[in-house]
Amino acid sequence: MAHKSMKALVAAAAVALLATSCAAEDSSGDGSAEGGAYKVAVLAASAQNGYNQAVYEGVVAGAEDLGLEVDAKILDGGFDATTQLSQLQNAATSGEYDGVIVVPHDGPSLTAAFPMTGDLPVVSVLNPIGPDIDELEPQVEGVVSTVAVSPTAAAERQAEDVVTYCADLDPCSVMLVVGNLSSPLDVARRDAYQSVLEANDNIEIVSTLEGNYDRDQSLSGVANALQSNRDVNVILSNADQMTLGAEVALTNAGIDPSTVYLTGGGGTTEALQAVREGRWAADYVNFPVSMGAAAMEQLANAIAGDPVETVVDADAVGPEGVEPYADADSLATVEDFTGEWNG
Amino acid sequence: MTSTATATSTEIPGRRAAFPRPLLLAKDYAVLILLVVVTVYLSFASSAFFTSDNLLNILNQNAPLAIIAAAGTFVIVSGNFDLSTASVFAVASVSAAWLASETGDVALALAAAPVIGLALGAVNGLVVTALRIHSFLATLASSLVYSALAVLITGGALITVTAEGFTELGRGEFLGVFIPVWVLAGVVALLWFLLSGTVFGRHVFATGGNAEAAELSGVRVNRVKILVFTLSGLAAGVAAAIAVSRIASGQPQAGAGMELQAIAAIILGGTSIHGGVGAVWRSVAGVFLIALIGNGFDILDFNPQLKDLVTGVIILAAVALAAVGRTRR
Repeated sequence: MAHKSMKALVAAAAVALLATSCAAEDSSGDGSAEGGAYKVAVLAASAQNGYNQAVYEGVVAGAEDLGLEVDAKILDGGFDATTQLSQLQNAATSGEYDGVIVVPHDGPSLTAAFPMTGDLPVVSVLNPIGPDIDELEPQVEGVVSTVAVSPTAAAERQAEDVVTYCADLDPCSVMLVVGNLSSPLDVARRDAYQSVLEANDNIEIVSTLEGNYDRDQSLSGVANALQSNRDVNVILSNADQMTLGAEVALTNAGIDPSTVYLTGGGGTTEALQAVREGRWAADYVNFPVSMGAAAMEQLANAIAGDPVETVVDADAVGPEGVEPYADADSLATVEDFTGEWNG
Repeated sequence: MTSTATATSTEIPGRRAAFPRPLLLAKDYAVLILLVVVTVYLSFASSAFFTSDNLLNILNQNAPLAIIAAAGTFVIVSGNFDLSTASVFAVASVSAAWLASETGDVALALAAAPVIGLALGAVNGLVVTALRIHSFLATLASSLVYSALAVLITGGALITVTAEGFTELGRGEFLGVFIPVWVLAGVVALLWFLLSGTVFGRHVFATGGNAEAAELSGVRVNRVKILVFTLSGLAAGVAAAIAVSRIASGQPQAGAGMELQAIAAIILGGTSIHGGVGAVWRSVAGVFLIALIGNGFDILDFNPQLKDLVTGVIILAAVALAAVGRTRR
């Protein structure tokens, strides 16, 4: 009986293998095999995240704008570096795709996938792939383009606006709310904030908090920190979700948010509304839909063998006239712009 | 019913004589001792710590987790685990946000959260008892299903609620105290009485102490299990209503990791992971011991990268202290 079962198992495995190999042949990534349609894998850091969904939306819209027929499939990395690494390796070995667009959860860890099997072009969005998180030029063979800005440069620019605000305040008390200090990206941002702010004698960083890109956690952290720093002048964060939590904490503590220099990062619909209403002083705006479209354009160039821009400045891809380091004045000039995502 | 009688105490009969009384007290009240030590330290370290504003702030921000842990005590005392509380919390909070933004009926939306939590908790209980699956696996699986449900409700996106009055539950005050603190006080009082002062509570202890013996003694063990999971789901729903009202937005990742925080707080408080022994006040004390560490880090501006390390060491210290008797058997 056991022998029969083993035979059946071996037969089933053989049939499955045969079917898989046939399927692999049928699903060749050669775009011409399906009447010119490109098959593109969009590896999202998390497919359930609003930012990543906006990038995917941009990829699809970008393909339409270019007049390309593209079959784009979004894969969920679940905010897990190992999962995303496997997805990238699978995309290369399966031969199913003509190109890959990645929103890396952890750019340095994806380096392990390169050089990849085959000649699959990869475009990275938001963060570079490679050991240096601030180097946007391709660091590994196979990455053809990166649509991003250096996290350190962006954080420095945010901090410089704080320095300008603090110019007439002595002391100027600043609270930092950064995402996740186990991530190299957020450590780089914190270091950039500190290096710019600490160069000014009138500025005192009274608290550095982890907000984990979560409103509730930021609310709790800022509420705690306000117990010993009620006279805070600035709350500087790298994400709008965290600034929204900080705003609630200020309100709960009886502090009018508009009396504090509140700023975040992301350019969500809610953040832009807060800046326009004067509740926040500024916001660093991202353009995930436009970034997705730019990534698709570079990927299409690479697949077609056309020249590729190895670095696309993510701050420059947004709608015309929208200043990425936005305040109420700059947003007043682009009344129709309400942000490319919400999250 | 002997097991019930012994289980309602955290003491281990027959093993007491070997230890000096102060050590036994330290073992039984490890969480309170650590709570006092941390409180005293923080009071000296920062003048901002021991103020009514800050203490109310700590109670307010940790009310949702404390409510989940208080109800979770029933599950663990009954010898089970509920790994789905965070997912139930997510479904309940996005449902409330969705209802509020679609209908504008704030009361309906916030009332829906506990009802949904109760229903999902009851499903957990039915799965555990009807399919005879270990609660660890059953709720691990249901947590995946519920998480997916939360994503489907929102489409993975954020639901922002602008309906007037929606934030009253999470941000409002009554007699100068945040409403979530009143809700927490009411829930803890009710659950404390339910576990320590009712027949149902004794049945929960009996089920966790020795389910077979309890069954033979006439305790309807399956009904007890269904009820404790239902209670856990209800508490997650109440916590979700508070949290979603506080931040005025629903997101599918809401509450991520909360199930493990709640279990850690329950065990830290001294409730036995093996079931049959525990108390609601212990879990609430466990929640606030962990909360004090976070509060202290933020007030004193300590490096947040060390927060998990310190929290882990304190949990180990409390659990080790409570386990002194067991390690010397």
